[in-house]
This record gives sequence, structure tokens and C-alpha cells, in this order.
Amino acid sequence: MTSDQTTLLSDLIPGQNFKVKKVNAKGEIRRRLVDIGFIKEEPGKVLREALFRDPIEIEIKNTKVSLRRSEAELINVKVID
Amino acid sequence: MFFKHKHHHNKHHGHHHGGRKIKVAIAGNPNAGKTTIFNALTGQNQKIGNYPGVTVEKKSGHIFHGRHEIELVDLPGTYSLSAYSIEEIVSRDFVINDKPDVIIDVMDSTNLERNLYLLLQFQELGIPVVGALNMSDEAEQKGLQINNEQLSKILGIPLIKTVGTKGLGLKELMRNAVRVANGRINTTFRHINYGIEVEDAHHKIINSLQTDSDFCSKFPGHWMAIKLLENDHDAVEKIKENHKHSDQVLEETNTVIQFIEKHFGEDSEIIISEQRYGYIHGALKETLKHSKKLIGSTTSEKIDNIVLNKYLGIPVFLLIMYLIYQFTFTLGDPLGLVIEKLFTGLKAILENNLPQGVLLDFLTGGIIDGVGGVLVFLPLVVFLFICLSILEDTGYMARAAFVMDKFFHIFGLHGRSFIPFMVSTGCAVPGVMSARVLSNPKDRLVTILVSPIMMCSAKTPVIAILTAVFFPKNAGLIFWLVWLSGWIMAFILALIFRKTLFAGEQTPFVMELPPYRIPTVRGIYQHMTEKSGEYIKKAGTVILAASIIIWFFLNYPKPPQEFSTNQQTTNVEQTVDNSTINPVEFSYGGKIGKFMEPVLKPAGFDWKLGVALFAGTAAKEVIISTMGILYGVDDEAELDSDSSLQQKIKTDPAYNKLMSVSLMFFIMIYIPCIATLAVVRKETGTWKWPLFQVVYTLVVAYTVAVFIYQTGLFFGLGV
Repeated sequence: MTSDQTTLLSDLIPGQNFKVKKVNAKGEIRRRLVDIGFIKEEPGKVLREALFRDPIEIEIKNTKVSLRRSEAELINVKVID
Repeated sequence: MFFKHKHHHNKHHGHHHGGRKIKVAIAGNPNAGKTTIFNALTGQNQKIGNYPGVTVEKKSGHIFHGRHEIELVDLPGTYSLSAYSIEEIVSRDFVINDKPDVIIDVMDSTNLERNLYLLLQFQELGIPVVGALNMSDEAEQKGLQINNEQLSKILGIPLIKTVGTKGLGLKELMRNAVRVANGRINTTFRHINYGIEVEDAHHKIINSLQTDSDFCSKFPGHWMAIKLLENDHDAVEKIKENHKHSDQVLEETNTVIQFIEKHFGEDSEIIISEQRYGYIHGALKETLKHSKKLIGSTTSEKIDNIVLNKYLGIPVFLLIMYLIYQFTFTLGDPLGLVIEKLFTGLKAILENNLPQGVLLDFLTGGIIDGVGGVLVFLPLVVFLFICLSILEDTGYMARAAFVMDKFFHIFGLHGRSFIPFMVSTGCAVPGVMSARVLSNPKDRLVTILVSPIMMCSAKTPVIAILTAVFFPKNAGLIFWLVWLSGWIMAFILALIFRKTLFAGEQTPFVMELPPYRIPTVRGIYQHMTEKSGEYIKKAGTVILAASIIIWFFLNYPKPPQEFSTNQQTTNVEQTVDNSTINPVEFSYGGKIGKFMEPVLKPAGFDWKLGVALFAGTAAKEVIISTMGILYGVDDEAELDSDSSLQQKIKTDPAYNKLMSVSLMFFIMIYIPCIATLAVVRKETGTWKWPLFQVVYTLVVAYTVAVFIYQTGLFFGLGV
């Protein structure tokens, strides 16, 4: 582990705040994530999960956004308290 | 009429005032109120078509602003202008090819950051942009203070505060758009600075692009260079197809991209997006102030706490769907019946006043039944689209997808697919139309292909009679099992299509859950009239034509004189037994039925069923009335009650329990009715998909029916 500890967005639980570190996706999905606001250092918050913990709702750039868990796995974040 | 008059007026005086036709494109994020503004500006003067070559809807309208004739084109709502969705490609291609004089970008003032991201991309296309700061009342309520003069200076374009739902600021908006179009406001391009390295790379690509002047007059160079830096596959294609020195341009692009990516340690595509957001962040830092901190949760959040609750979410959704279902069908069905009655009445009038013969036959059996067949669905379509536009306009639709996605995703579908599935259990015609809630074409096609398999209100009486006749003791249970198997088969087929025909990467689920908003009556009304109009115009003609063809097949040629029985006689039942000759037997339909009998045998069907099933493609409930005719029972009341038809089916040696199961499954799966096929044709834009649907449902239905019947026979269940 480095000092700049990152985890996957999919590992966060509702209520946790984070900062985006890296989007590891390719192609369309990366484009969509970046366009909707998952860019470096952008702060966000996990709001809730649906039944069976999928999909999840995230607040980013003043908007509520829904992602499948498999998509959240592509985003590296740093948890902030 | 009003419009035509004005149009005339303008033509007449056009020369004196020197008014020029101005082309305005209206763009904006989804949920920013773009459609409301477009509707408010154009009123009823709208034309709906498609963008060339794709099924994306294109709305346009003509209005007059002072002495200017203005053509307004509504671009699809998008978040960005990448090359990953048809809507985005359509938007940018329209701007490049049609070169509007000005683009009005409608933005949600409560969320400027995200909305400016799209605006910047429209600016890059080199067409003057005017920004509408829409929902400005909502922004004020939230305590957002936008210094639009300063922001307007930074962006180099006019920004006008509007409230689309109340029509505020629209005059001012158009005034500015016209002035920009006429060159009275200078919007000289003050594009954002992407930082020295990127700007340098950008410059190099522009230089390389300029080696072909024809290309540069066709495509905006600045935009092309940015898209190449973003690795945009559509831009690369455009270079390959149109640029004289495409190899050099692409080589240069690769070199500079490699340099940038080395320098930043990140993909150039991401760098550019980050720079864009960075620029917006800077611009808003100076011009946007929060005057009050919001305390507690907003109304939207309170609603979401219930509606999106982990455990309540699905029950709430099912309840809402149930209410929609009830509303649509309890109001729509009786109205449909009224329409049917009207047409029956009309038939009676004709029958009483016209001489017997081909003309009367054609008018009553062909035309009136056909037109009636189109119109009976109309109330359903109207009520359903009222409900759907309420769901969409309030912002609940995205929540429905959120709640249902997990389950539907298992079968390769999207959470929103639930809506067309649910509606199809009432009627597949509005069901297929409601698949529009799916924005991804693959999801939509799969949903359209499989949802008509489920029980609909036309199959209901057919299955109900069959269960009542053959399983009198547990008819309810059997009916329910057949209903359930409809859902199961639809899901299995969806999964198969996803793994075969529509294999490949799934499109992202990433979507915005917009704040709840109160829909406007006007918006709902407009949406509803649009959809009903389309249904009547496009699907109606096909349904009518097909009904006439089927009517012809079942009625011609007429039997030879000596056999001509009188269909109007109601008390034929005493004199008719199963072997009685009836007119259908002589028709083409009857001949087809007889011809097909060897093929139908393995599934347990005789030729009469063949005819009934053929007629059932006109509308599934026709299966019963056709069987009635074949058995010489032509009284409607008797068909409905525990009647002679049931008795006759029961006593006919050709029928038994096993065959009835095979028949019920066949009826569930096989060819959707003509109305559905016509709507599928309209929604998919080609005959390919309805034809495919005919073939695949026939194959599956036949296979399942034969399998059931033969397995049953093998285990000795046949008798």
C-alpha cells in the first residue's frame, strides 16, 4: 500500500465520501463516466444501493447518478472522512 | 391555418423587409427543459420526422419573429457530443452538414457545471451559440445567484434567463438568437484554453488538416482537431473518407497524442474532458454564488428515501405500474368497446341499406372491420402515453430503472424494459410503442422482439375458453400457469437474443437521476397527441391493409351455389354437425388450412385450427370467432357464454387435454397480431424486424407445441 491509498468505488458503502483518482475503463463506458463527471480529484458521495446491492446511487457534480456495481468497479477512489 | 396565413403574408411582403430565413438548432442536456422551450416556441406548428438514415426522431417547426422566418430544429438531448450514441452523432452531424445560423443551448440553471460541458462542445463546432439559463426560478429558490453578464463575457456568447414552463424570457431569447444569426452580436470564438501542450498539439493538427482546403470548407477544423485528439472514431472515419492526405493527418495526430500522453501520463481523451471541466469550474467560481446553504434534505431526497428505498423500492414501483395498468385498461378497454359498438352499428346500417354482394361484404368485412381494428387500440395508446409521459416528466422513469435493473440485467435487459413488458400483458401495441423508454437500440429491439409473447387482453379470452373446456376443475390455475409461462418464455428468449443476435458489449447503465419536477399539462398533452397521431398514421394504414387481405383469404372464393349457406342464420346449430360443409372451407384460408394439415398434425392440430390460427394473426381473439364459424356457431352471445362452441369442441374427437396444452402454448408464442407487427415496423423503421418476428415466433411456437404433444403422446397422455 502506498501513502496515496485508493480503493474501488464499488467497495464503498452508502454514506461514504470519496475523491475520484482514476477511471480504469475503456471506450464508451469510460467516455460516459468522464462526461458525467468522474474526473480526477472530483469529490462525490455514495448515497444508496438497490436491493441485492446493485445498482448504486452516487452524488457527483451536484447530480445524482446511478451506476451498476460492475461499472463502479472501474473507478479508483480515495475515501475521505 | 393561422400559420399558413402568416406564411403567405410573409412571402408577400418579404422583399420589402428583406427578412431572411434563419435556421436555429435547439440543443441541451436531457431534463434541462429543452422540449418545453421548443414546444413553447413552435406551438402547434411542428413537423415530426426522422434524422436521415436513423430512427432518431427529428422535430422541427416554423415560426416568425418580427419579419424573420425561423426554422427551429430540436436536437436530441445529450450530455456530451462523443461518437458513442446515435443521438450524439446525429446532433453533431446536423450542425456540421446543415450549418444552422445559431444554436440555442438550453441549460438547467440549477446545474450549470454539467450543462456548460455540453455548451462548450457545441461552441467547438464553430456555430454561434446562445445560452438559455433555463429554470432560473428554481435556481433562485435554491439560492443560486448567477452573474450572467460576467459569465456571458467569459464565454463570449449571450446568456438569457428563461423559465420554459411559464414562457418567461423566450422573446428575449429569440431576439438574441436572431441578432446573433444576423451578425449583430459578435460571438467570435473565444474557445477555452486547453493548456500549452494541448494547444500546441491542436495547432499542429490544424496545420496538417489545412493541407486540404476542400476538407476545411466542409468540416470545422478546430472541432476536427479536438475530436482527433480525443481519439473520436467517427472523426477518424471522416478524415479517412474525406481528406486528401488522410494518412499524413492521422500520422501527425498519433505523434502529438503520444507526446501528450507521455507528458501527462494519461489518455489525451481524458485530459481534454478534464480541461473542459476545469475551465467551467474556473468560470463558475467567479460568476456563481450560493446565497444560502440548504438545510436538511430537499423534497426530491425525501421522495427518493421512500421510492428508492432498498426494500420499498420494488413494491412502490409495482404499485405504480399496477395503477398505470388499471388506469390504461379500465378506461381504455370500455372506450375501445364503444368504438367497436359504433362500428358494429355502422355495419348494421350498411347491411340494411345495401344489396347483398361483394361490395357490402368488402365494406363491412374488409373496410369497417379494418378501420375498427385500428381504432379500438386508440384509447389504450392515448391513456398509456399520458401515464408514460407523466413518469418521464416527473423524473420517476430513471428511478424505475434503478429499482428493477438488477433483475432485468440477468436476462441482458435494462431496468426500464419492465415497462414495455408490463404494458404488453395488456396489449402489445402500446407495449411495443412504450419500448421507447429504452434509449439503447439493442435493449429496445430485444424488448420489442420478445414482449408480444406475453399474455395480452386478446389472448386472454382464447386461453380462458380453452382452460374452461379442458380443465374445468382447475381452469384458474392452468390459466395462471400459461400466463406465467408467457413471462418466462419472453425472458428466456431475451437472454438467447442477447447472447446471439445482439451479443457484444453492453452499453453503460450510467445515468442521471434527475430531481423530481411537476409535469406540465401542455407537455403531456403534446406528447400524447403526437404518439396517437403517429399510431393512426403509420401503424393504422398497415393494419387496415392487412385486415382486408385476411378478410379476403377467409371469404374468397365463395363456395359453389349449391352449398352457399346463409351466415346470417342464427339457429343453424340444430341442423349442423361437425361434418357440415361451411363457406370457409372453400376459401383460400380454408385451402391453406387443409394444405397445412400434415404439418400441423405433429402438434395435434387439425385443419380447422389451422384456419383459426391463420385468422388469429389479424387479432388473437378472432381465433374464437373463426372456430365459431367453422363449427357453425355464429352467435356472439353463445360464444361468450358456456355455449355450444365449448360443447362442440369438447365432443370433437380431434380435441383433447394434451392437444389443448400444445394449442395454448402455440397461441401464446406464435406470430404477433398484425397491429403489433405494424407497430414494430413503425418503431424499428424497417420490415426486417417484424418479418424476423413472424419467422422466429412461428418456429419457436411450432417446436414447443410439437414437443409438448409428442412428449405427451409418448407418456400416453393423448386420450
